[in-house]
Amino acid sequence: MEFDWSVVVEAMPALLSGARLTVLIALAGLVGGLVVGVVAGFMRAYGNAILNAVAFTYVEVIRGTPIVVQVMFIYFALPLLADLRVNPMTAAVTAIVVNAGAYIAEIVRGSLLSVNKGLKEAGLALGLPVWKVLAYIVGPIAFRRMIPPLGNQFIVSLKDTSLFIVIGVGELTRQGQEIMAANFRAVEIWSAVAVLYLIMTSTLTLILRVTEKRMRIL
Amino acid sequence: MSIVEFRNVTKAFGNVTVLKEVDLNIEAGEVVVLIGPSGSGKSTLLRCINALEEIDGGDLVVDGISVREGRSKVRLIRQEAGMVFQQFNLFPQMTALANIAFGPRRVRGVGKAEAIGQARELLAKVGLADRGHHYPSELSGGQQQRVAIARALAVKPKLMLFDEPTSALDPELRHEVLRVMQSLAEEGMTMIVVTHEIAFARQVGSRLIFMEGGKISVDGDPAELLDNPENPRLREFLQHVH
Ligand SMILES: Nc1ncnc2c1ncn2[C@@H]1O[C@H](COP(=O)(O)OP(=O)(O)O)[C@@H](O)[C@H]1O
Ligand SMILES: [Mg+2]
Repeated sequence: MEFDWSVVVEAMPALLSGARLTVLIALAGLVGGLVVGVVAGFMRAYGNAILNAVAFTYVEVIRGTPIVVQVMFIYFALPLLADLRVNPMTAAVTAIVVNAGAYIAEIVRGSLLSVNKGLKEAGLALGLPVWKVLAYIVGPIAFRRMIPPLGNQFIVSLKDTSLFIVIGVGELTRQGQEIMAANFRAVEIWSAVAVLYLIMTSTLTLILRVTEKRMRIL
Repeated sequence: MSIVEFRNVTKAFGNVTVLKEVDLNIEAGEVVVLIGPSGSGKSTLLRCINALEEIDGGDLVVDGISVREGRSKVRLIRQEAGMVFQQFNLFPQMTALANIAFGPRRVRGVGKAEAIGQARELLAKVGLADRGHHYPSELSGGQQQRVAIARALAVKPKLMLFDEPTSALDPELRHEVLRVMQSLAEEGMTMIVVTHEIAFARQVGSRLIFMEGGKISVDGDPAELLDNPENPRLREFLQHVH
């Protein structure tokens, strides 16, 4: 068969609007996921028994279930359980936040615990309260070590947005699917979709590379 | 009033008792050298003084404050008792100068310019005036340990605790750290030093304590004890470290 570029050109506006939505969901999800993950990670690493148990349960439940099931639960089951109406976009962003948050919590916990215990003691021995030791000494070192695994998680989450096709969010994969169903040009459409994802993920990789270079990873 | 008072102090890890009813008074200006076999509780005794370890029995009073008085009081003790670790533990993300200025800024609330100025003076004092902008990873072990001493001094403690400060160093780098410690002692700093450097104990120490099995078994004048160790286990120990 012949690769027909005009199909790609014609599909591009719809695909780009889908890509915009993908970026939007991913961005909101990652910012939210980072906040949730940092809080849960600190609870795991430094919290008392109760905080630790809460964070542990959250991480286990989320890591132990597929993201498709999570978003279906939020979109279809939650309204029945709690009489809450959620639109697809809210369900998608919530799912990414909750899902990425659990994985990021483990990244945060691991990085915090990887910091040599002697540094915490050196800070305490100067007469600092624990929160200052975490804020000025352990936190910054742990943060530098988080960048590579965080980058990994960001890319995974960005691609996970394609699964929200199941609740009808018009993101990139969904747009591709709809156009394909109308014109049956699978090769052109899925190639274009793949390339758009690659552009998004490689931009993310580039941003992370630069961040990593600017901070000395310790 | 003694600057450090152990009153019947007991410390256990699980069911292993590491300090057994220790009584000890240390006066301002003393340079106490603590020796003893590995595992005898020297580090633990030192770490109880600045409450890095919590005591289980008895009482321990540092500069008039009990280690049992609660968190904010414990922080006051730590500001009065500087600590130098075997592994230096410099903050790797900060330059030598920033490491030293850190304590005054974040603990004492000193302004940035003033803290940096003090840090420069301290760096010169430990013989590293030209190394301020270097990161710990760019310094030798001996240099790192001297920066660590300056970092502890920056908070203006009344008392300095050293836990085997030269044990992680190559022999040819030890003297530069010992020299800094000696000049500190000559300025009148109260010091408690865990070390195997017998020459330092004799030359600089004003008091020698030999620990074994979580107890102080010998306590006296360094020169006398080293020249004529009456305790047979101290005698044997000295033969091994010489
Ligand atoms: N955090 C800890 N947990 C359990 N046991 C410990 C801990 N710290 C020290 N110990 C034990 O306490 C004893 C005394 O240790 P330490 O004070 O480090 O001795 P020293 O400094 O004289 O070698 C050793 O038996 C050691 O194994
Ligand atoms: Mg020790």
